[in-house]
Amino acid sequence: MKSKNGPIVRTKSGTFKVDLPDDHRKILTNLIEELRTSLTNSNDDAALRRLFPTAYHNDPKKDAEYQRLMRDELLESRLAAIDTAIKVLTQENEITAEEIDAFSRSINSLRLVIGTALDIAESDYEKQNNSQHDGASNEDSSDGASDDDDGQSVQKELYEYLGWLLEWTVSAQSSGL
Amino acid sequence: MNVFIKASVQPAQVQEPSLDDETKSERPWIVIVWNDPINLMSYVTFVFQKLFGYSLEKATELMLDVHNKGRAVVASGSRERAEFDVYRLHEHGLWATMEHESL
Repeated sequence: MKSKNGPIVRTKSGTFKVDLPDDHRKILTNLIEELRTSLTNSNDDAALRRLFPTAYHNDPKKDAEYQRLMRDELLESRLAAIDTAIKVLTQENEITAEEIDAFSRSINSLRLVIGTALDIAESDYEKQNNSQHDGASNEDSSDGASDDDDGQSVQKELYEYLGWLLEWTVSAQSSGL
Repeated sequence: MNVFIKASVQPAQVQEPSLDDETKSERPWIVIVWNDPINLMSYVTFVFQKLFGYSLEKATELMLDVHNKGRAVVASGSRERAEFDVYRLHEHGLWATMEHESL
């Protein structure tokens, strides 16, 4: 989009440069902050559940035990990655491999949540042919815009943008393998 | 590389017929990644390379199995090891589960 090199570049010394315009950084920071709030409030949103999958698909008892032990750890890990992603977005310095890793996991989490919410919204939309979504399909809360078609198309655009950014992030990281 | 992939078929060992938990737990666990419509193919391939040390070729093959067949076994080992791998895959947003390898 911006340059031939893409927004994320691996340097010869193994660090990474993030070349994103300020408005992109701001939007991403806000979205990731929103994700953090949702995760911290631990509401049982269907889209958020996508971030905490089942481990034992054919053994509910073992899965309950696993979730009891690991869910909080997974949550902590996601929140730590989010902290790093925000740090990456709010400064211009080159970043380390660990930081780009946390950044890419956070972008992917965001994309999973938005993608999951969009799927729900789409099936609702197909059924009703008129957008009258209930709260369950509305993952990004506060601004109220995602209840309508405009909100949905904004979410779709974001979803595509995050995919684009993630492709570049993966490609920069892969060049270091 | 491939340290988690054991030979797919092992000679059957003669065991007491009662498969108690102890015996059962010695059977390897397999880690399965399931297809999902959201994760990028390039991202999934990268995660397989990163977490399991697979070559690009092997990681791509597994990713295509996930994509085309709906699932792929990406690792196997002890229950503890499998739980650790499932956890790391979840950390990366992949849909991973585990089960006992069938006899």
